[in-house]
Amino acid sequence: MDRSTAGPGASRTTRRLGVLFGILVLVAAACGSSTSPAPSTTATSAPTDAPPAATPSGPLVLKVATTANVTTWDPIKSFSTEALYMANIYEPLLWVNPPGAADQFSPGLATSWSTSADGLTWTFKLRSGATFHDGEPVTAEAVKRSFEAAADHAGASFIWLPLDTVEATDASTVTLHLKYAAAADLIASSLYGAWIVSPKALDAVAADENYFEAGVDGGSGPYTIESFTADKEVLLTRYDAYWGGWSDVQHYDKILLTITPEAVVQQQMLDGGEADMALSIPLENIGQYKTNADFTFIEEPSFFNYVGYFNVDKAPLDNVKVRQALSYAIPYEDIIAIGAQGYGTQSRGPVPAGVFPWSADVPQYTQDLAKAAQLLTEAGHEGGGFSLELTYASENQNEGRFAPLIKDAYAKIGVDVTLTPMQFNQQWERSKGDAAARQDMFLVLYWPTYSDAGSDNLWSLFHSSESPFFNLSYWNDAEFDTLVDDAGALTATDRDAALAKYVEAMKRLVDQAPGLFFYDTKFVMPLKNTIAGYQYNLNYPFAQFFYPLHPAS
Amino acid sequence: MARFLARRLAGSALVLLGLSVVTFVLARVIPSNAAALYIGPRARPEDIARVTQQLGLDQPLPVQYLTYLRAVLSGDLGTSIGTKQPVLGELVGRLPASLELIAVAMLIAIPVGIGLGVLSARWQGRAPDFIVRIASIVGVSMPAFWLALLLQIVFFRQLDLLPLTGRTDADLRFIAPIVPVTGFYLVDSLLGGNPTAFIDAARHIVLPALTLAAYPVGLIARMTRSAMLEVLDQDYIRTARAFGLRDRLVVYRLGLRNAMPPVLTVIGLTLAYALTGTFFVEIVFNWPGLGTFAVRSLLNVDYPAVMGITLFGAAGYVLINLLVDLGQAWLDPRVRLT
Repeated sequence: MDRSTAGPGASRTTRRLGVLFGILVLVAAACGSSTSPAPSTTATSAPTDAPPAATPSGPLVLKVATTANVTTWDPIKSFSTEALYMANIYEPLLWVNPPGAADQFSPGLATSWSTSADGLTWTFKLRSGATFHDGEPVTAEAVKRSFEAAADHAGASFIWLPLDTVEATDASTVTLHLKYAAAADLIASSLYGAWIVSPKALDAVAADENYFEAGVDGGSGPYTIESFTADKEVLLTRYDAYWGGWSDVQHYDKILLTITPEAVVQQQMLDGGEADMALSIPLENIGQYKTNADFTFIEEPSFFNYVGYFNVDKAPLDNVKVRQALSYAIPYEDIIAIGAQGYGTQSRGPVPAGVFPWSADVPQYTQDLAKAAQLLTEAGHEGGGFSLELTYASENQNEGRFAPLIKDAYAKIGVDVTLTPMQFNQQWERSKGDAAARQDMFLVLYWPTYSDAGSDNLWSLFHSSESPFFNLSYWNDAEFDTLVDDAGALTATDRDAALAKYVEAMKRLVDQAPGLFFYDTKFVMPLKNTIAGYQYNLNYPFAQFFYPLHPAS
Repeated sequence: MARFLARRLAGSALVLLGLSVVTFVLARVIPSNAAALYIGPRARPEDIARVTQQLGLDQPLPVQYLTYLRAVLSGDLGTSIGTKQPVLGELVGRLPASLELIAVAMLIAIPVGIGLGVLSARWQGRAPDFIVRIASIVGVSMPAFWLALLLQIVFFRQLDLLPLTGRTDADLRFIAPIVPVTGFYLVDSLLGGNPTAFIDAARHIVLPALTLAAYPVGLIARMTRSAMLEVLDQDYIRTARAFGLRDRLVVYRLGLRNAMPPVLTVIGLTLAYALTGTFFVEIVFNWPGLGTFAVRSLLNVDYPAVMGITLFGAAGYVLINLLVDLGQAWLDPRVRLT
């Protein structure tokens, strides 16, 4: 080949391939240009195309990294992690105060309330001057419609089972008539199924069931939704007409919440300044902030605890001595040290510390392998010699960390455990399927729907029922059932008497050991010292309250 | 050419059809209940039954597949379990972020890779060649997530020069918002005359783009080197040297031009690789593109999203391969006959 053929030929080749590459780049760019102006997942606008009316220095923004996804924006249906946002957009009639507070409740949209002696009638007086984000006043009619909608089709509609009728007595008075005595003050302060919603929004959602899903709200809380991109971010902006006002401290104007499921990325965002608050730092890394002078380390009890179920329908777990032996064999301290990385306390029954009706009088098991072996012998299983299958949620890292400790501990008393990690929904389904194919043991992270773990944790987890929902040990104990039922009725009228009944029920529960009570988790979070006003309330799991926050002076 | 094009298009359609069958079957055989996932935790049996019917999961598998295929052909990739939004919308909304990252990575990879390849070939057997060959192997074999962490440690933790994660600073939207035109922040900020945003977006894209460029740099450098060595060994190069042409003219004007076709083919393929290569990079840098969505969908067993991403990615891959094939056929008539 001579120069005359090599040069021009190569040049043409290069040109043609250059054109081809150019086409590729253009195709790529075209894809971008044709799609970016209005991503369908963005509720109101693309993240950057609707700038707020910024002052020269911009609004005061709090940037938060969170795992909390939005399964629905419907405040009636909401029963999941979107509670983080709901608690800042909507308000209930009452808020439950954290343990140790002078009063059990703080006023929400109700400023006073009372109950009849029989606990069947509850009257709430509403706050004057409160308005919904659409400008409508908060009235008794709005409360009535919200509660009726919740009782009818809320995600947590069961909390309203005691409700008979709701009466808008006058514009600012609501009366609840119950079918049986129940603690309506606790129910009305629930994180789920108790938000007061604008009647206009309720009308809109009645006409179009997806009305809220575009990222609109009908709340009366301090913040309203400015924009929402599914699985990516939520931007809340302050509601100027909020009854609480904005002038007492320098509140944040906007809350930018980035949905980041990876805890380690949240940590990166916190360290890199992309987030002012990160709500889920990996437990194994979080300790480093304890000694960091730029942070305050928040370590508080939480609403969550880890419970295990024994399938009492299956031998040998139908034998109480076997269950007690297995309870004695659990290495509780190691489980807290490894599963919770030290951020937990051993449970006393299924009620988390700090939540009614927790009591220090409820006994605990401590690891005692000799006692466990002796109980197995008494039950006719000397040296163990049987196998169990334990299922746990593969997406729960804590369970993944401590389940092997159970296997190791049981091996020491001759019990072989097969660990079966699976997606929670599979674990859940299997536990309700064919009785012969069900698991022997089941680990679960549990939390009550509202601040009454008697009517929730104790009833839901261990009270008998026709078809088990959360009672996945399938335990049926008439004595326990009676105690819990009696205590539930007393909660409305005589909370001390109710507590006594519940404690008796929990003592029986621990003694009969249909389940294992591992540990109550702790809420841990490093908080930058540049942020002041932080208030933690264990009664509202998943929720953080942004209104009280302000820059530290 | 028309027959060749028809044949290749038919082949591409078959590939996509086959892939749709495989992804559909895989999504159905994994031990997970889509209806329960869709509802979320604490699902009640009656709700699961209702959603099962709603999603058509109670139908026989072939019927479900045909329904799915009909929907796909009409542009409906289903609804994401995680976000409750149409999968196509999710993909399209995230595409510009990924494409911008890929484009910048390739803009780094192509000149650097070709430059290193030429340098290596020109100094064959000497120190520069040795260094480039080692660097190429490292670039090709180094896991992207590891390189990403390394770059973060050096440029954020140690030097505090570049941001750690994200596409822009979170505050940017309040201070100097980008008006979206193309969805490429670098382009849009320039079009909008917004230097603050351009600098911020540029600072954020450097580390993920460098990470994503590492593999193509290594591959392009190696291909350029071997193509150049082959070309430089040709008679016409020897003749050119014998005629006393300057070395620079011989290497760059004659050698590089004639070595380019195979290199450009590799560039096309690495562009396709980059579509999936962004997955790890996006996760580490919290880059809001397709990769982040894909990884989260996989972890959440969000099977409609995973199927959609697979089809979407495969369509992109097939398209790029098709264009490369057509380009080769256009350049080399022998290809059209095979």
